[in-house]
Amino acid sequence: MDIKIVHLTKVFADKDQAEVRAVDDLDIVIPSGKLIGLLGPSGCGKSTTLYMIAGLLSPTDGQIYFGDDDVTKLSPEKRGIGLVFQNYALYPHMTVKQNILFPLQNLKVPKVEALERAQKVADLVDIGSLMDRKPRQLSGGQQQRVAIARALVKEPDVLLLDEPLSNLDARLRLQTREEIKRIQRETGITTVFVTHDQEEAMSISDEIVVMKLGVVQQQGKPQDVYNNPVNKFVAKFLGTPPINMFNAEIVDGKVMIGEEAIAEVPFENQEVEVGIRPEGFEVVDGADSGAFSFVVEQIEFIGRDKSIVARHPNCQTASFRFIIDADIQGVEVGKTIRANVKPNKRYIFHKVTEKNMELSSPEELEVVEQVEELGE
Amino acid sequence: MEVKRNQLSAWLYLLPTIILMAIFTVYPLIRSFFMAFAENYNYMTDTWSSIGINNFRIILGEGSEFLQYLKTTCLIVIISVPISVVLSLLIAVGLNSIKKLTKLYQTIFFMPYVTNSIAIGMVFSVMFAGDKSIVNYVLELLGIGGQNWLGGVSTYGNHASYVSQMTVLLIYIVWHSLPFKILVLLSGLQGIDKQYYQAAQIDSASKFTVLTKITVPLLSPQIAFLTTTSFIGAFKEYSSVIGLFGAKEGATGGHYDMRTIVGYIYASLTDLNVGEACAGAVVLFVIIMVFTLLKNFISRKQIHY
Amino acid sequence: MPLLIIFSLIIALFVIVIIYKTIEKPSRRDGRLNHNLVIDETIELEYQKQIRREIIAKVVRYVIAYSLLTVAAFLVVFPFYWMFATSVKSAEEVMKMPPTIFPHEIHIENFKVAMQSANFGRFLINTLIVGVFSTLGTLVTTVTSAFAFARLNFRGRDLLFSMFIATMMIPGEMMVITNFITIMEWGMYNTYAAMIIPFWVSTYYIYLLRNTFKQIPNELYYAAKVDGTSDFKYLLKVMLPIASPTIITITILKLMGAWNSYVWPNLITDEDMRLITNGLRGSFSSEDGATVHLQMAATTVVTVPLLLVFIFFRKYIMRGVSRSGIKG
Repeated sequence: MDIKIVHLTKVFADKDQAEVRAVDDLDIVIPSGKLIGLLGPSGCGKSTTLYMIAGLLSPTDGQIYFGDDDVTKLSPEKRGIGLVFQNYALYPHMTVKQNILFPLQNLKVPKVEALERAQKVADLVDIGSLMDRKPRQLSGGQQQRVAIARALVKEPDVLLLDEPLSNLDARLRLQTREEIKRIQRETGITTVFVTHDQEEAMSISDEIVVMKLGVVQQQGKPQDVYNNPVNKFVAKFLGTPPINMFNAEIVDGKVMIGEEAIAEVPFENQEVEVGIRPEGFEVVDGADSGAFSFVVEQIEFIGRDKSIVARHPNCQTASFRFIIDADIQGVEVGKTIRANVKPNKRYIFHKVTEKNMELSSPEELEVVEQVEELGE
Repeated sequence: MEVKRNQLSAWLYLLPTIILMAIFTVYPLIRSFFMAFAENYNYMTDTWSSIGINNFRIILGEGSEFLQYLKTTCLIVIISVPISVVLSLLIAVGLNSIKKLTKLYQTIFFMPYVTNSIAIGMVFSVMFAGDKSIVNYVLELLGIGGQNWLGGVSTYGNHASYVSQMTVLLIYIVWHSLPFKILVLLSGLQGIDKQYYQAAQIDSASKFTVLTKITVPLLSPQIAFLTTTSFIGAFKEYSSVIGLFGAKEGATGGHYDMRTIVGYIYASLTDLNVGEACAGAVVLFVIIMVFTLLKNFISRKQIHY
Repeated sequence: MPLLIIFSLIIALFVIVIIYKTIEKPSRRDGRLNHNLVIDETIELEYQKQIRREIIAKVVRYVIAYSLLTVAAFLVVFPFYWMFATSVKSAEEVMKMPPTIFPHEIHIENFKVAMQSANFGRFLINTLIVGVFSTLGTLVTTVTSAFAFARLNFRGRDLLFSMFIATMMIPGEMMVITNFITIMEWGMYNTYAAMIIPFWVSTYYIYLLRNTFKQIPNELYYAAKVDGTSDFKYLLKVMLPIASPTIITITILKLMGAWNSYVWPNLITDEDMRLITNGLRGSFSSEDGATVHLQMAATTVVTVPLLLVFIFFRKYIMRGVSRSGIKG
């Protein structure tokens, strides 16, 4: 079942009774049977959105459709959803089995069938042998699985996960995210999960939705969003190490970082910002070839690759970091080296709108400029 | 985050409580206040002659017995509170400094709290009363000499003085009020960061200095809380008097030597002097309000020095 | 008197053994012997001296602490002991001079006689009826109101709650007077209802349970909502089991309150309707020397159940008490 979110808005009143738009005019379509990651920094409205999909929060405005049904006004239990909380919210006084059976009791499922279903779902998440334990006797990873089992036992149409990995240690996190992916594939259930960890979202989602201050920035397959960020925020938010930002200028169709032209674009003369992914540098030999030059400050070997920390006056941070193949020779600390910039790894952002200029129509870039002029 | 505002169901959940509170708390409070100011009030017919402060004039006027009872109550408060706070502090510090048998001692010291104050009051009266009481026997052995503590025919005379009656009462009240104070102070002591003591040890402070300069100041919130709540509790002292002295509230019949404010309120009520009972209750109410406000004021300040 | 001396000697011995066992003897650090021999000897001597001084100071401190505590504990326990001892003495032994510390003969029949001297069987039944029903009613109002205050969201909640809290500061005597009149007007004098219904609400317990409920994470409620649980079922199936220690605390304190209540039943009941404490106080006058052993037997009967409850439910009682000084 797909989920359509139309003009969804949630306004909270803060302590001083001032309005806070946690979610602002949100439009998303979540395709059926896919694993979707809602991604953004804290306070971006992703959890609020999830709770509105669950029905625990009622939207100030807008609609939520499950398939063709408008569920906006429906109470949580009538929506056919399973929800896994960040801290799992397992009932501490009940055993694993009782926890999993609890939703079925509310649905008045006959005892025998309920037990069967509980065992089946417990086996699916690999906790079939822990059924008589209490939550506090389980490890964090096991609790997580119980929470997922409890959410799945109702055979919901939609599975919602709130920061599912944030309470686990690094090793368990890797393991559990594979597990979530596997469970999602085996059940084929439409799954939405919320996270602030872009790596986590990128690695398991079929699609990601990047949000900022209650507004969707971009939605798409992780690789597409990573390769074609629509604006500076998305570009900066995705990727480790993060993208490198430079102040630049377009002069006669050439993108100039300092005195060096790194690319050619069909835009008018203006100041811009250029983002270059760490993997977007091609180090070249010789003093004359290569578009871009900088001073190497530090070199770290990370197995297959070398991570180079370098310095450039136009860089927006004190230093920037990029990654090259470990075999490439001639990079030494203190030396000025030259590199070409891979065209698909560099993005030109509008100085004011911060939009990716190559992905925006001229109108999109103009509108705000006019507003700016009116403001002056 | 809310699911929905459950207005109606919330009031349904509260309904039984609110009805009961209205009947047995709010209404009585208002009516008792009213009756305190109603003159010649007849509770059977619910009639009165006028509104005024006559009841207060009676109980607070010259030669009134109430003033005697107020004095007794104030004596109880002024003497028992400091003694019990200091004693419980000593015991709590002692308990906190030992390692073995702490649980046993804690259990023993808490025992008076779970007892019936009437029942143990009777035990105390047996321990003190008469020539052949254990207390008088021990006092004779120590060469101090016995006392007629609680009245009755005895070789120490047939009359128990106000002072000796008050002494027994105070001993019993302190005995009975220690457990709660020890409990509060001990948990306060256990909450003090050990680092303060380690620092003091490095600064080679003596144990006494540590007690007066570190422990007591750091415990001041608990001590302040206990002192004010004990003041309130001691002003309401009643059942210990009944336990020790029985319904006569004193050793010599008819005089009610050890009667307290609360004792007066119940006696007036039993005699159906409702107006005076209410006036007495209002006086008590005012005293307790003063200490409650003081308590809230102090706890808000969270004193440390 | 010799018995008293033996008694204190035993206690003293006991204390010394404890102190001896408690002190950890500082062990010499291993590295010491490897040092230069000459310097080492003087250091060693100084070191030994210091250790000895420290041990002495420690012993003195422990002796002071344990003797203070033991004396205090003795004074706390003695009334209980004296009650038990007197309760089994014969009428003659009670009047003996000097008083006997240990009863010479054990007269168990004192309890029987004492119980027959007044209608204690009836008082006991009355107390149980009043205790059970006032506890049940209190639990209902406490649980529902604590739930509303902790979990539900309604206009005026915080104001109402602070009003509830404020009533705790008002001395009960203000209410007792009018309640006495109310009970009279309603013709409920000398009934169980009069001893039960006015005590069905306790703001302190509501406060206690509401705080316990508040500690249950919100997510559990949301999880239950998603699972289709009604508010009431959530309260029953999730909140109550989690809060069961507090429920036990409330039940025990409330039952103890009924067992110890004296003032109110004394005002509104007569004769056969009285509770156990009224019976105890009413049946023996304090200066009646001849029945002291029976008086103490009856007192023992009232006190022992309380001590047993305390021993078995110590944790629950202390929990409830440490939050506030309000009793019963």
